[in-house]
Parts: sequence; C-alpha cells; structure tokens
Amino acid sequence: MATATATRRPSRRKARGAGITPWLFISPWILGFLFFTLGPLVFSFVMSLHDWPVVGTRTFIGFENYTTMVQDDPQFWKSLWITVKFGALFVPLNIVLSFLLAVLLNLNLRGTAIYRTAFYLPSVISGVALVTIWAWIYSKEYGLLNYLLSFAGIDGPNWLGDRTWAIVAITVASLWGLGGSMLIFLAGLQSIPKELYEAARVSGVPPWAQITFITLPMLSPMILFTLITSIISAFQQLTIALLLTDGGPVNSTYFFAMYIYKTAFRFHDMGYAAAMSWVMFLIILALSMLVMRWSAAWVYYEGQARKDDADA
Amino acid sequence: MKRRHLIIAPAVLTAVFWGGMGLAQDKVLRFATWDSDESLAIQEAIAKKFEEANPGVKVQVEAYGDGYDDKLTAAMGAGSPPDVMYMWNFPSYKEALLPLNDFIARDGEAMNLADIPEGLMNISKIDGNIYGMPAGFTTQVVFYNKDMFAAAGVPEPQAGWTWADLRAGAAKFRNADEKVYGFAVDAKPDPYDFEQFLWSNGTRYISDDGKTIDGLMNSPEAAEVLNMFADMIKTEEAVALNIGDDTSGSALFKAGKIAMFQSAMWSKSGIDESGVNYGVVMLPSFGGKPVHSAIGASAVSIAKDSADPELAWEFVKFFSSPEAVAMRTNDLPVRTSVAEAQGMQDDPIFKPFFDMLAVSNKEIHAFLKNAEWGRIQENLAVAIEATMIDQGNAQAHLDEAVAASARFLK
Repeated sequence: MATATATRRPSRRKARGAGITPWLFISPWILGFLFFTLGPLVFSFVMSLHDWPVVGTRTFIGFENYTTMVQDDPQFWKSLWITVKFGALFVPLNIVLSFLLAVLLNLNLRGTAIYRTAFYLPSVISGVALVTIWAWIYSKEYGLLNYLLSFAGIDGPNWLGDRTWAIVAITVASLWGLGGSMLIFLAGLQSIPKELYEAARVSGVPPWAQITFITLPMLSPMILFTLITSIISAFQQLTIALLLTDGGPVNSTYFFAMYIYKTAFRFHDMGYAAAMSWVMFLIILALSMLVMRWSAAWVYYEGQARKDDADA
Repeated sequence: MKRRHLIIAPAVLTAVFWGGMGLAQDKVLRFATWDSDESLAIQEAIAKKFEEANPGVKVQVEAYGDGYDDKLTAAMGAGSPPDVMYMWNFPSYKEALLPLNDFIARDGEAMNLADIPEGLMNISKIDGNIYGMPAGFTTQVVFYNKDMFAAAGVPEPQAGWTWADLRAGAAKFRNADEKVYGFAVDAKPDPYDFEQFLWSNGTRYISDDGKTIDGLMNSPEAAEVLNMFADMIKTEEAVALNIGDDTSGSALFKAGKIAMFQSAMWSKSGIDESGVNYGVVMLPSFGGKPVHSAIGASAVSIAKDSADPELAWEFVKFFSSPEAVAMRTNDLPVRTSVAEAQGMQDDPIFKPFFDMLAVSNKEIHAFLKNAEWGRIQENLAVAIEATMIDQGNAQAHLDEAVAASARFLK
C-alpha cells in the first residue's frame, strides 16, 4: 500500500502541473451538468418534501407527498399501470422491429441507401409534426389507415376515440421513432466479422442457427443498450400522448409522465409533481439495475470473452 | 429524468432573461396577455394610448400566447412576475395578486362600478376581495344558419325556446349520408362552460360553501343533462365532436354541415368571415326553467410583487375606462354605457349575448368555490366524456366522479 502511494506520487504531481487547463476544457460540460442536471435534481428532491404551490406559501411536509401518492391517490396507480401496459407493448416491439429492419438493410439489396434514409427519416421529425401526421392517419372518417382498411372490407375502429385502441395507436405512433435503435443494430451487424458466417456456412450451419448462435450473441450489447433506453423512453412518454389524445378517451392514455406534467402545470402542485418525478426516477433506476444484473446471463462482450479464454 | 429538466429549466431561463430586461429601462410597466393576432393588436393599441397619456412610461406588452400559464407560473416562481397581467384563474393565483378594493374605493368615481354588470364583477371576487377588473366578456348563445332553416322549412328559433324545441328542429336536418346534422355535441366540453346546463336545469357542480358535490354534481338533474346530450348523439340529432377527432364545431358550422352551433363570442368573427347567413339566439331552457349562461371573462390583475403598484393601478384603471373598453372589438364591452353607445343591445346579433348576461348573475363558477376544483374537474370531465362515448349511463359515471373526488373535499 505504502509503496503504491509512493510510486504514484510523481504522476500525481505531473497532473497537478497541468494546472486547471484540462478542467477548463471540460468546464462547459461540468457547468452544464451542475446547473442543468445536478442542481435541478437536488432542487426537485427538496421540492418533493414540501407542499409547494406555484404561488403562495411553501410548507415542509416531509414525506407526505410520497405517502399520499401510495395510499390515497388512485390516479397515481392508474397512470402507472397505463405506462406499464404501454411499456409492455412498446419495448419488445421497438427492439424486434428495429432489429428486423436492420437485418433487412444489412442484406445489401439494391436501393439500400434509399430504404435506410426512409426508415430513419421519421426519427428526425419533431414531436408536434409527427403527431399532426398521425392524427391524419388515425382519423375515423377521413384517416388514411381506415381508408386502407376499407379496401380489405374492414370497417376500422375510431383509433383515438376508443378506450381499447387508443393506447395501441399511441404505441404504433411512438414506434415510428425507432430509426435510432435501427442504426445502432445496423452498425452492430456490420461490425460482426464475415469470417464467422463463412465458417458456419462451410460447417453446414443452417441460416436460422447462424442468427441464434452468431448474430444475436454478437449483438447482445446493442440489445441491452436498446432495451434500457426503450424502457426509459416508455416511462417518459408524454409528447405524443399529450398532443394526440390528451390522456383520453376517458383517461385510457393518461400516462404517468402526463400526470406529473398536469400536476405541475395544470394543478400547480409542484411538490407533488416533484415527488412523482422522483418515484419515476427510482422505478427507472430499479428496472435498469435489474436489467443490468440479468444481462450478465446473456450479454456477450468480445473483449471479456477473450480474457476468459486466456484465463482458461 | 428529462421530465424534471422541463419543469425547472424554464424557470431558471426566465429568471435570467427577465432579470436582464428589468435593468434595461426605468418606469417600465410589464403587461402580460394570453391573446394573439387581432386581440393582441387591440391591447397594444390600448397600451400605446396609455403611454401617450403618461409620458415617461413604457408599457412592455408580453404576449405569452398558448403557454400563458406555464410562462406566468415560471415568472412568478422566479419572483419576477409581470406588473399587470391577464387573469381568469383567480383561486390558483390569488396569493400572488394584489386585492384592488382599496384602489377602487379611492377612485370610486372614475371606476363607476355601477356601469359594470354584477355577473362580471363576480368572476374576480373571492371572500370579498376583488383581484381583477373585468376587461372583456362573453356569454354563451346558439348560432343558427338562416339559409339552412329556410331551405328545410323549419321555423327559426326564438328566445324562450326549450331543448325539446332544439331537438325537434335538429332532427329535421339529419342527413347521415351528406354528414349534415342539426346540432353538434362536444364530448369533451370545457367543464367551466358546461356548468351552465346544470344551472339551467336547477343544479350545480358544487355547493356554494365549496364543500359538497355529492347530490349536486351527480344529482338526477345533472345526469339528465348529460344523458340528453348523449341521446342527441345516439339519435343523430347531433354530430359528436372530440371523440378521437379534432374537427371543431365552428368549422362544421362555417361549412354548412350543422344548422345550429352552441358557442360564444369567440366564434363570431370566424363565422362572419365564412359568409354564412346566421342568426343568434339565447340558450334554450330545460322545460321553461330559468336559463343561466357561463360567463367567460378576462380580467386584468396586478401582481403583489409589482415594483410600482400605483403605476400598475393607473394602467388597470385605464384598461377599465370607457375609452379603452370601447376599443375592444373582439369581445363584448364590460361597461353597459359603452354597449349602449354602440347600440349593441338593439343589434339582433349582439342582443342575445346581453340578454344572456342579464339573467346570468345568480350562480358562481365552481372554481371560485374550492381551491382544488382543478383536480375535481378532471374526474368530472371524464364522466362527461364517458357518457358521450357510451351514449348514456350518466348516473354511474357521475357517481364515479364524485367518489373519486372525495379526497379533494376533506
């Protein structure tokens, strides 16, 4: 221990010799983090311990906001349940669809560049424009979707006006932004060494087994990343629902994030909204940690594997 | 996590931004409004007039538009509210507003409150404190398409008509193939305006002491109102609006797709532009019971933290003066003298609005009675929407809303 410190000393002095220059270089990020992330984070926790109306007196109430939420507020549980339902639809679909699209794009067919642009394009469109487009698509009387269904002899439902279909409609609209995860999968696919597939083909391994035993393990870090980011965005779903249905019909798309937003800006109850934000943060944190722990069982990192081989 | 940034970042930014602005000039009066376009231009003209009368004063008109509440909330949270602001939601903001009673008493003669109808003063009064001066108002009426009535041979509606009359008339316009209907029912009406139908049927959302909704909001009279509208959707006497579709009633009325349209002053200029040959009539009654309209009014208020309340009051006083009230052509004049000078009470288009105002001074809007009304209203809105989608069953939905709201009445 003592020797270790001793041997490290020169390098530490060297770092000090560099002065504040390195800090200055990263200071925009540090300051941004302190003022716009860490500051508000701490502040919101303080807020969550108060009865904090927008105007008027703030009173410290300890954890009362948290106990009210759990014990007396059915809307909290309802909107949480709606968000979980949405996540159960959105997360698997987002991963499977972006993976399939990436596989298709990786086939190197003619016009791949056009398809790649087309599939990614919706991710570039901002929330409001995207919602306007989907409102046209879903309109019961004049919508594109029901028009297309009518050719198949199907009398389409009122997508945004039906308690059952509205959440499905929002899921599909949200999936439109899967271009980002598709690109991640595509990059992952292209980094898989061709030799693996060639070796498999020579050994007579059928294509489906190539996917199961080569593609999926090689892509597992990307799958993990997409899984975690999808879970986070599922919980934060707000813009599309707010603009497309405003929580309706009959609160069937009243997401948790929307309840937070409305509590803060419609009901002016900042303390309660901050407390709910913290609950959301803890839920996301817990889910992410669970996924990370579980991932040890199925995520395969190339570097780690080589080290294991070497150890063995 | 992003969510929390969205809540706090605007407050910080606004504070930085307005903190800087405050230093720019002395004797600047900040005036915030939610209006845009024409209505905003009118207010800017009023501000200009005030500047001419008060040299050395600059009125900075801040048009917050659709994000009015968000921006006002942020400005107040940052301790830098505008001096004078448009206001309607008094219970939420009253602690940040200056009661005007003393100013009004002092300048009693110039204010001449007898000239302003009581129903309009009611909207800004809480526990005897007056938190704002009404600037413009509208009552609710029914617009009808005269050409459609003539073509269908249906007699035009008259003041004193009933909902039964409206429904009988509406049925004659029903043409599902052409998508033409007699009336439009909004499945997601603003509960604020919707209470007028309960009032007109002899009930209300909440007791005057703001403590009881059970037996009122879910009374048989309230259920009757909701079921009636739902039934109009079922029988196709009316087209349903706002069920997964955002086609507006005014768009349908302007296109000649509905013969009657229940709305307010804010629809008038659009209908004028469309060229539809229309008439205006008072709201129908429930079997002859007295009708009572919602009062949609905007008022101007002074921030408690205003640096110069005297100057702010001068501006509010000017905003309420007959001169400024007469300049407001996009809503109705809050001063009877101005309405009379412009001959509005004799104009067949404007008269029903004033007739509605004359009978609408008995009830107080629910949000003035209970500070948690915003939360209760959410449950009510769901009950109304559910009734319209299910085309009935109002009692069960209202009972559910009352049960869910119990925790806000403790």
